[in-house]
Formats: sequence, C-alpha cells, structure tokens
Amino acid sequence: MSTNQPEDTDGVPAEPSPLAAFADEVAAAVGGTPSTDHGTVKVRVAAERWAEAVEAARDAAGLPFLEFISAIDWANDVSVGDPPEEPVEERLEVLCAVGDVVEGRLAILSADIPKEAPSIASLTHLYPGAEWHEREAAEMFGIHFEGLAKTDHLYLPDEFEGNPLRKSFALLTREVKPWPGDVDVEDLPDAVPTGPSTENPGA
Amino acid sequence: MLDQHAIRQLSEVSVSVEIETPEMTLNIGPQHPSTHGVLRLVAKVDGERITDVDPKLGYMHRGYEKLSEVRTYPQIMALVNRIDWTSGYANEVPFVVAAERLLGVEPPERAKWIRLILTEMARVSAHLLFMGSFPLELGATTPLMFSLRDRERVLDVMESLTGGRFHPNFNRIGGVKPAAGAGKEMKKQVQDLPAGFLAETRDAMVKVRSTCDELEQLIMGNEIFLARTKGIGILPPDVAVSYGVTGPNLRASGVPFDLRTMTDYLPYDQVDFEVPIGEQGDSFDRWWVRLQEIRQATRIVDQAVDKIPAGPLLAKVPKIIKVPKGETYVRAENPKGIMGYYLVSEGGQGPYRLKIRSASFSNLSMLPWILEGVLIPDLLAVMGSLDFVLGDVDR
Amino acid sequence: MEGLLENFWVLLVLKLAVVALLVPVAGLIIGYGELKISAHMQARVGPYFAGGRFGWAQLIADGIKFFQKEDIIPENADRPVFRWAPTLVMLSSVSLFVVIPFGPGDPFVVRDLELGIFYALAVSSIGTLGILMAGWSSSNKYSLIGGLRAAGQLIAYELPMVLSVVGVVVLAGTMSLSGIVEAQIAFGMPYIVPQVVAFVIFMICALAEMNRIPFDMPIAESELTTGFLTEYTGFRFLFFFLAEFANMFVFAAIATTLFLGGYAPAGSEVFGIAVPALAGPVFMVAKMALLVFVMIWVRWTWPRLREDQLQTFAWKWLVPISVANIVVTAAVKVVF
Repeated sequence: MSTNQPEDTDGVPAEPSPLAAFADEVAAAVGGTPSTDHGTVKVRVAAERWAEAVEAARDAAGLPFLEFISAIDWANDVSVGDPPEEPVEERLEVLCAVGDVVEGRLAILSADIPKEAPSIASLTHLYPGAEWHEREAAEMFGIHFEGLAKTDHLYLPDEFEGNPLRKSFALLTREVKPWPGDVDVEDLPDAVPTGPSTENPGA
Repeated sequence: MLDQHAIRQLSEVSVSVEIETPEMTLNIGPQHPSTHGVLRLVAKVDGERITDVDPKLGYMHRGYEKLSEVRTYPQIMALVNRIDWTSGYANEVPFVVAAERLLGVEPPERAKWIRLILTEMARVSAHLLFMGSFPLELGATTPLMFSLRDRERVLDVMESLTGGRFHPNFNRIGGVKPAAGAGKEMKKQVQDLPAGFLAETRDAMVKVRSTCDELEQLIMGNEIFLARTKGIGILPPDVAVSYGVTGPNLRASGVPFDLRTMTDYLPYDQVDFEVPIGEQGDSFDRWWVRLQEIRQATRIVDQAVDKIPAGPLLAKVPKIIKVPKGETYVRAENPKGIMGYYLVSEGGQGPYRLKIRSASFSNLSMLPWILEGVLIPDLLAVMGSLDFVLGDVDR
Repeated sequence: MEGLLENFWVLLVLKLAVVALLVPVAGLIIGYGELKISAHMQARVGPYFAGGRFGWAQLIADGIKFFQKEDIIPENADRPVFRWAPTLVMLSSVSLFVVIPFGPGDPFVVRDLELGIFYALAVSSIGTLGILMAGWSSSNKYSLIGGLRAAGQLIAYELPMVLSVVGVVVLAGTMSLSGIVEAQIAFGMPYIVPQVVAFVIFMICALAEMNRIPFDMPIAESELTTGFLTEYTGFRFLFFFLAEFANMFVFAAIATTLFLGGYAPAGSEVFGIAVPALAGPVFMVAKMALLVFVMIWVRWTWPRLREDQLQTFAWKWLVPISVANIVVTAAVKVVF
C-alpha cells in the first residue's frame, strides 16, 4: 500500500518525499487519486474526465511531454500465461504517461473503462504524437478513441480480426503445441563468490 | 490581322494558364536501401517535392508485448536486446531494473558499474553505426568503412566479456552474469570479469576517439555535406516535445534533456560528462550531437574503468524468480532516445503485462510533420538523421 | 609490308580493330583500378580471389557473369527504345576514340579531324540521349525520375564544359586535337598553367557528364536504387557499366590532350634529346592515369550534391566563371 507521508520513528510525519509531493501536485491538478508504488507516480482518474484530466496535467502541472499511451487488460480468465494472483475486476485500464523535459518528472494517468463498451476520449488534440499510440492501443485492445481521425491499423495487416493483446486472444502456436518450458537453461550459481578479490581483478 | 491590343491580350491569357502536373504516388520501401529496415512510406510527390507522407509500419512487428506474457523473466531478457539491435545491451538494463525494483533486490555496486560501462559502449556502437550510415545515404561511401572498422573493436571487447556482439544477454536479475564459463570447476573459482577486460576497454576507447577525429575531419568541413544537411529538416523544440521525441534528436533541437543526469540506478552521478546540445535542430545538428556523444561516452567509460569497485557481481536471488505483485515504470536514456518498460506483475514467473516504450516509435511518429514540403533527396537526409531502427519502431 | 601499311584502308581497319579492342580493355583496367584504389582508401583489400592474390580477373569474371544472366524486359517497357538505349551510350564513348591522338603523326590517331574538339563535344552529348531513353522506356517511376534528373544535369553541365574548352582553342588557334598538342609543345608548357581555371571547370563537368559522385543524382543508389538503370539486367547493364569506364578513359584522354600536353614530349626535343614518337602512348597513358586516379579519389570521398544544388552550381557559378575565363584569355592573346 502506498503511504504519501513517510513517518518518522517518533510518530511525527516527516517531509513528504519529492516523488510523493509531485504525485500530490498532479493529483490535485487533474482531480484523481495518486500513488507512488515502486518509484512510479500513478494517478487514477475517471474515464469520463479523461481529456480534461490530461489537459490539466499538461497545462496546470506542466507536463508537455508525451511518453506513451497504452492499456492493460485485467481479466481472470487468461488464455496465455498465468492468471492474476487474486481475482481482479474485469476491465481495461488505459494508461497515459506524460512528463516534463526540464526535471524529468513523469506521471502516469490511468482510467478504467468497461470491456463491453471500451470507449474513451482521444488525446490527439492535446498531443499530436498521441495518434500512433492510440492507433496501436485501438488495434491491440479494441479500444475506441473518440475523436481519433485515422483509425486504420498501425501494425497489423488490414484484414486482421481480433485484438491480440487482450487476454482472451489465444496464441495459435501455443494451442497447437504447449510451451516446452525450460529446456536449455544454465543453473544460477549456488553461492555468491567469496574468494579473494583484488582491487581491480579484471584490469 | 491581329492588332497590338489583341496580341497582348492573347499572350497574357496563354501565360496565365497554369500548367497542371499531376501528383504522383511514390511507394518508398519496404525494400529500400535507406529505410533502416522494412519501413514503407506512401508518399504523394509533386515533381520532386513531397506533399504528404503516410508511413506504414508493422512489417517487423514481432509481438514482443504478447510474447512477454508467456515467457519467464530470464527468457525475456534474452529477447529484449533484440528490440533496438544496434545497441543491444542498453535495452536490457531498464527491464532488469524494473524486475529488481518489484523484487526488492539491489544489485551490488560492481554490477552497477559494469552495467554503466556496457551501456556506454552500446551507445558508442550505435552512434558509430550512425556515423557510417548517414553519409552513405548522402552518397559518401567511405566513412562507413572507417566507422565500422572501429566499431569492431568495441564489439570485440563486448564479445570477450559477454559472448555476444550485438545481443549480450549479460544481465541477470540481481546483477550481471557472474560465470565466465559453465562447469563445476569454473563455478568454484572467483566469479569476475575476465582478465585484461578493463585494459582492452581502455584501448578500444582510445581507438574510438581517434576514429571520431578522423570522421570529423572527413565529413564536418565538407561543403557538400554541409549543403545537404544544414537547414534541412528543422525540428522546433516544442513540436519535438509534444510528439515525444527523445534522445539526440531532442537535444539537437536545443532541449537539454538527458535522462542520464536523472537516473539513480546507475552511478552516472559519480562520473563527469557533458551533454551536447544542438542549436537549430536540423540534420547537421543531429549528426553533430551524436558525434560529441561518442566522445563523451568514451570519457565516461574511461572514468568508470578507473573507478569500478571490487565486489560480487550478482546479489543473492532465489533460483526460480517469482516477482511479487506490483507495477513499476523504469526508463533509461538509450542511444536512440528514452526507452521505458512498464512492468505489471501478478506474482508469476513472468510478467502479467509488459508495455515497452521504444524510442524510435515516438521519434518516427513525427515523420509526416517533418517531411511535409521536403524534396525527395532531402527525405533521406532527414530520415537518416533521425536514426531510427525498425525493430525499435515495430517491436 | 610498308606498302600495305601505307594503304589507307588497311590502316583504317587496323586502327578500328585497335579501338574496338581498346574500349573493353580500357574499361576493364580502369574498373579494376577503381575497385582496388577505393578498397585501399577504405582500409579494405578489394578483389582478392579471382585471379590469385591481386584479383585481376575480377572484372573479367563479372563480365562473363553478366553475359549469362537472363535478359529481362519489363512488360510495359517501350521495347525498341529500351533495347537501343545502351547502344547509344556505348556509341558515344567509342566515337570519341576516333579523334584522340596517342602520339605524334598519323599512325597514332584514327582520324585527325580539323574539327577535333568540336566533334568530340558534340558526340559526347549523344550519350545523354541514351540515358533519357533508358529512363523513359523502363516504365518505372524511379527510372523516370532518374532519367529526368540526368537530362537536366547533363544539359546543365555541357555548357560550362564547352565554354572552358574555348579558352584552350583560343590559345592554340586550332580545334584539331593533334594541333592543340603541337601548340602546347610550341608554347613550351602544357595549357594547364595558363588555363588552370578552365581545367578545373572541365574536370568538374567531366564528372557530371559521367554521372559520377558528386554528381550522381540520376543514379543515386541510396534513393533510387540505380535510377535510370534500375530495370536493366544482364549484358545490357554490362554495356552501361563498361560505357561508364570507357567514358572515364575518354574524358581523361581529352583532358590530357587539352590541358596536360597529350603525348608530349614525344615527337619533339627535350633538352636536345629527341624523344621517340613511340613513347607517345606511354606519356599519354601516364598522364591519363593521374587524372583517372583523381576522379576515383573524388568519387569515394565526397557525398553527392542535391539536384537543385547541382543546377545552381552549374548555372550560377560555372558558366559565368568560364565566360570570364574566355574573355581574359582572348584579351591576353590579343594584347601579347
């Protein structure tokens, strides 16, 4: 769980870390809930306010740099790989990472959209570079971006049907033959080396 | 007989009729000597000027993100350096750092320094290839031979350490690969860098620097080269930022953004280096920035070779690695730009979702913008100077 | 025997046979030189296997290879034009051999025309026609672009070439190539000394006429994948290929004759020693080798000029400078 306020030993809340402060600032600007797990600033916003939130991030929070736009398919039934540890709510989580080029700060905004009607506002009017990212997310996840002008496939052939990055999309080769697993892998060494090491042994 | 007045009117009419030249649709690629891979550009051309460009991607789409969902972490490590194959090692580092962050493992200092050295050598290797291939597209055939010859030195050093020239596959979760050989006897010995590796690295950097001087002499003062690249393909900084352009392309436009100065998982704060910034953002600046970056990278490697501490190469990690549940995003300053991995783990042996943010994808997304109104020969000068690789674009 | 050699027709047939042999052989030797010289400039070795350690048989092997390749003509190509295009280019190179004097006197030149240099410049333009035909008939957009570029470029660079030669003609007082060489011998020094500007312009235009880097926009490998030559295969491609090297030989020969004194000092006296006429070809070839080396050197060192930069260079720089050269030469000749 995230704590935005690291606590001192005597129970007095210490100064928030720069990362946490930044997270709070972005969350305040876009109107969402922040988290700073594992050094990554993530702010959850409502899907209906997606365009306004990103615009606020760009203008009010000063993040004009587009890093990427993508999505995560949360599903309990997966046709490839392992299912999630605990049951998750079935949804598509759209991610948009924006940052600045002065201090290198980065915030990832995320919104949940339902799988039955996966539709969200397009960001091409805010960031021209969003077009390609959204085209890729559209064909890979089946997300409909409202306001995206060019909707032809970016990577996949024009006649391709299906959304490959959805968990329900099966890999044909794995249907035919299951993954053989570790076939030819070298064992990790048993112990960390403890032998004598000189100052610069490789020199 | 026509009188003067009528003749003048007729001549004016004939001159004012516009000659219509139809637009031609030219298909550049996917097999073309200069598109850095299988890129297809459907260009509408008016004479020699391009009016519209529609890049068609996907000829090299290998499905990395789907593939990562069915592979374990060590297996993905072997795949990941093939994304941007000109700088193989640099692709592995942010991925392994992401996994280490979620696992809560800190690699030993010596491993971090080795990662730094190898990343900078990957940068040298990628930029030297650019130094050779960019003049080739403009017609100068000789710089390629010089730059590749000295790139071989760097690749030789890489091979002597990791066993691979382009795809080192040298990182392990928790550090770098400790065994210089497999086999029971080898494992009992001290697991460390091969003898003479650091000295070889120093020599290779000296040779690289002399090649940089040679290339500078050969190319930089050449009037034809300057005429072909100065003022061609100017990229304003705000356009670059809004498209997500990173790396030398962004720095050539005058934006001093280098993620190496802000990275904490590699000891960049303990070495001295400058970040070259261009002025105009034209093709010449993009070439110049990369030349200076090679020199700075050799400087970093020299310092790192002197400062590298002794110690183990790999932290204690379990045999079968299961990364606990969590999400993180790690970015790195790759030679082509910023590369990032958004890793979503659900406690399995492999990721639940791995989103790869590749530099060349964003760098290329501004191609329709930058190519509008450009002449066909300049198309190559601009595209070549962007230095993208299709593996990075298509993943 | 002498009687036979005095016979005009026998001599003519002999000379034509020599020319017919000379063109491919010259092409092969210069081609081999290009491969080896460029290799050594690039820290490589060059041809290594064909014909032993020095690879001298490389181009012979290439020629044989080209001959046995399939002859492909695109479906939509204009067949007669497609077929005749390489012939025209080769024709123009071979025709130029007719006037070049390899030594003093009659046996060393096929026909010493009064109009020597005029004829040479006129005939070299026929090659342009061949290139245009090749680009047009290939029914390929890339070839068309290459052909158009070639037409523009070749026309643009004809003019400064002709103008630069005028200075030499003014100094020599004759257009016959042998006459120009004799005039240089009489003058005491090769015309490169008073006409250095014209020499540089002539060499630049020669490079442009041969479509060599830095003027190889029409071929522009990295953009147009050989431009107007794209659809040519097999021995038709070989024709173009050989014609390029033969052209190098010919332009070097003309430049040597005009500016470096041709076959001098053969046929005249040097410090009181009469130099035998038979040494003429030797001197000629040595000087040509120097010029060919410079052409190869430039080709492998510099990038190529863009089409509009090329045109600007020709029209705004070369033409005015060569006109100024003529004016200065004429003025000096009249005054002194």
